[in-house]
Amino acid sequence: MSDASPILRISALTKTFDDFTALHGVDLDVAEGEFLAIVGPSGSGKTTLIRLLVGMDDPTDGAIWLRDQRIDVIPANKRPTCMVFQSLALFPHRTVGQNIEFPLKLRGVKPAVRKERALELLDLLRLPRDYYSKRIQQCSGGEKQRVALARALAFDPEILFFDEPLSALDYRLRKTLEKELKDLHRRTGKTFIYITHSLEEAMVMSDRIAIMRAGRFEQIAPAEEIYARPVSPFVAEFMGEVNFLSLSAGTVAGAELSPAAQAALAGQSGTLVIRPESLRLAPQSADLILSGTVAAEYLLGSRVQYRIDSPAGELTVEVLREDAVAGVGAPVSLGCDISAVHAIAEAEDAAA
Amino acid sequence: MRQRERQLGLLYALPLSVFLGLTFLAPIVLVAGFSTMPEKVFELTHMPDFSAYRTVLAQGYWKSVAWSLVLAALATLILLVICWPLAYAMAKVFKRFTLVLTIGVVMTLFVSENIRLFGWVLTLMKGGLIEGYVRSWTGFGFDAPLYNVPVIVFGLVYVYLPFMLFPLAQGISMVPDDARQAAFDLGATRWQILKEIELPLAMPGILVGSLLTFVLAAGAMAESKLLGGRAVITIADEVQTAFTYGQNWPLGSALAMVLIAIIGTLAIWAISKADLDAMMGRKS
Amino acid sequence: MKTSRLASAALLAYGILILAFLYLPLVSVGLASVSKARYLSFPIRKYNTDWYGEALASDTVQNLLWISLKVAGIVTVSSMVVGFLGALAFARYSWRFRKPFQKLILLPIFFPQTVLGLALLMWINALGIVPSWKTAIIAHLVWIAPIATLIVSIRAFSFDPALEEAARDMGATQWQVLREVTIPLLMPGVVSAGLFAFLLSWGNFPLSLFTTGADSTLPEWLFAKMISGYSPLVPTVGMLTVAGSAALVALGLILAWALKRLRPTT
Repeated sequence: MSDASPILRISALTKTFDDFTALHGVDLDVAEGEFLAIVGPSGSGKTTLIRLLVGMDDPTDGAIWLRDQRIDVIPANKRPTCMVFQSLALFPHRTVGQNIEFPLKLRGVKPAVRKERALELLDLLRLPRDYYSKRIQQCSGGEKQRVALARALAFDPEILFFDEPLSALDYRLRKTLEKELKDLHRRTGKTFIYITHSLEEAMVMSDRIAIMRAGRFEQIAPAEEIYARPVSPFVAEFMGEVNFLSLSAGTVAGAELSPAAQAALAGQSGTLVIRPESLRLAPQSADLILSGTVAAEYLLGSRVQYRIDSPAGELTVEVLREDAVAGVGAPVSLGCDISAVHAIAEAEDAAA
Repeated sequence: MRQRERQLGLLYALPLSVFLGLTFLAPIVLVAGFSTMPEKVFELTHMPDFSAYRTVLAQGYWKSVAWSLVLAALATLILLVICWPLAYAMAKVFKRFTLVLTIGVVMTLFVSENIRLFGWVLTLMKGGLIEGYVRSWTGFGFDAPLYNVPVIVFGLVYVYLPFMLFPLAQGISMVPDDARQAAFDLGATRWQILKEIELPLAMPGILVGSLLTFVLAAGAMAESKLLGGRAVITIADEVQTAFTYGQNWPLGSALAMVLIAIIGTLAIWAISKADLDAMMGRKS
Repeated sequence: MKTSRLASAALLAYGILILAFLYLPLVSVGLASVSKARYLSFPIRKYNTDWYGEALASDTVQNLLWISLKVAGIVTVSSMVVGFLGALAFARYSWRFRKPFQKLILLPIFFPQTVLGLALLMWINALGIVPSWKTAIIAHLVWIAPIATLIVSIRAFSFDPALEEAARDMGATQWQVLREVTIPLLMPGVVSAGLFAFLLSWGNFPLSLFTTGADSTLPEWLFAKMISGYSPLVPTVGMLTVAGSAALVALGLILAWALKRLRPTT
């Protein structure tokens, strides 16, 4: 985060529905021009949060600031922010051009000027200019995404919010649009806040990721940091497959530790996090050595994944295909370097 | 499969189609035939001379036609305004109360129109429910607001309210919530959302409701007879008089054909525009 | 964009107001029916229910009730059968003349009933049939059978065609498919169509007026009495017909509720 004052500041934001608290006083600062992804499973409060941010719901407590202006007391149609909906919410009775011009029409911009701007936006989103008079129903899924983005950009918001707009698309199109969105962010320099349940999507696009769980932020950090140093087993698991080993007073049950590893973990208790791709089969030398038998083998294209029964529990290992060693039932040894191991201390673990 | 569906469709449609052919289309053809006959004949065996249509034009029957259309148009407009907020609430705001309202409104349809209009006479007449109680509490009475043109419009609004309310509610429920919220988020005021999003997207419901009320009200006569004291004679009333007191079947038929032409054009236009499958949510 | 609490409350009040507006005339009729005076005037000084006794004892009223019941009963059964078959053709099957058929069904509903009644009277005369309560049944059906078809169609539209295909795939004959799948699934629609058919026939006036000949239904008799001057029997008999409708609607609602409880899956 830079030292500059944030464009968006959320402080102690709380939302309670009848007897259920969806948001427990969350705080968050977002820097100007940042691409922030808010990630969480369904029911984690991310949808509630974005509804409060755009003004579709009123917070029970707390405040939202846009620079020096408190905006949580302003209705959505008066806020200088805007959202791309999960359903896109394109107006079916209007053409592509009319959809894009809609926010300008509301402000009483002259038709000629509106059209000029709409055509510019079509260019920006790499849609042919003759789409201007096309009907929404005639557009493909990816084209509709671009129209929705163009409409939001026509509004020229201070912050652009996204509510999982890619979730309904097929894999390949999603991958293409993720990159386009990242590119668009760089070209427009706007602040993007993107809600998703897919961490993969968040990692591709965003500068920072905020992980939500049960109405609170579990961790807010750049993608690499969340991947390498998750603060809790919840975050670690959210990032994909992961192995947990129990660490008590510097020793790991079922594992041999090198002197370097002993020194690094001395006196610590909690959980060790090891990524499947950090483990090596039959290592020449390693800081942490485990053993077991192969229970199952799965081919993942260029990589092979093994499930291994070991005294330390069930482990998942992923190696390159040329490093594959044994079939099901074979005894194996496996290990990793201490640099690839992340320890989560007891206290943080208990919160999980 | 397809072949079987084709046969079954035809087979199942047959009873109703034959029935309506014999009891709906055939009588209309008969009326059309009678309308061309010389006046005051009771057989179709005469030479057609279209004299009844000349009488319709010459005798000022167009006034009744005009009155019926004006009254129907007024009632439709008033109903549109009255029903919109309620239909909106039924589609978007109320939860359980929508069911209560639906049952409550539908139930009034099952009580004969006569009884309900007669009830209004008892309510509005001098010494009726309203005037009677007002006079006994305040000592001041007033004349009954009956037997004039506004009360006929009032009666039409009353009787045809359900025919506007339900199509409107159906139309408004087809406006996606997301579209309204997106417009609001993009800076639209409540009024702009109504104009730019809700009215255009609810248009099928608005059209169906308006046409239904207009067509039914244009063919009405009980309101003007019971409440209006025949301050205005509607076209349906003229048709009936020509048939019964006038014993002039060709004149009655010619008047009926005028009404059928107006209503039929509107109804056929509306029905041909409406995609029933889409409106009623057909699967596959 | 949420509707504020104040706006919700105002809309609720508006809804209640509209309901009150719809039922106010019936309140007047109800009060009039229990007024002792021969010449009605509000406020009512003395109440009694003697007019009900008189109405029920009257041969005329009994005869009217019987005719109205006969007509409505036969109209109900016929519309249920025709409506069921018609709805399958209207909504379920894809066949060549489906769209024209749909339009044919809608036309009688839009048609002014007074004119329809007169046209039917001429037609009946032309065919040499003497009008009676039996011809009134035909007249009612011209209007009510299409409505019944529409009501069953609403149900048939939400019908998943895969269910019938699955049954046929498992070896069911056409008749078995109809009996085991189609009829049970459409039954709620058919029952509500029957309810509507009865109630609409029971309260219909314009079609009966021209087609009953020498016979008379309750609404016809009421209209004749209303036009010819006030009779204390008018509100009383009026309330009796309203009570009949209300009882049937209540029965229908209880039936629907009970079915829902018995079959939680639907």
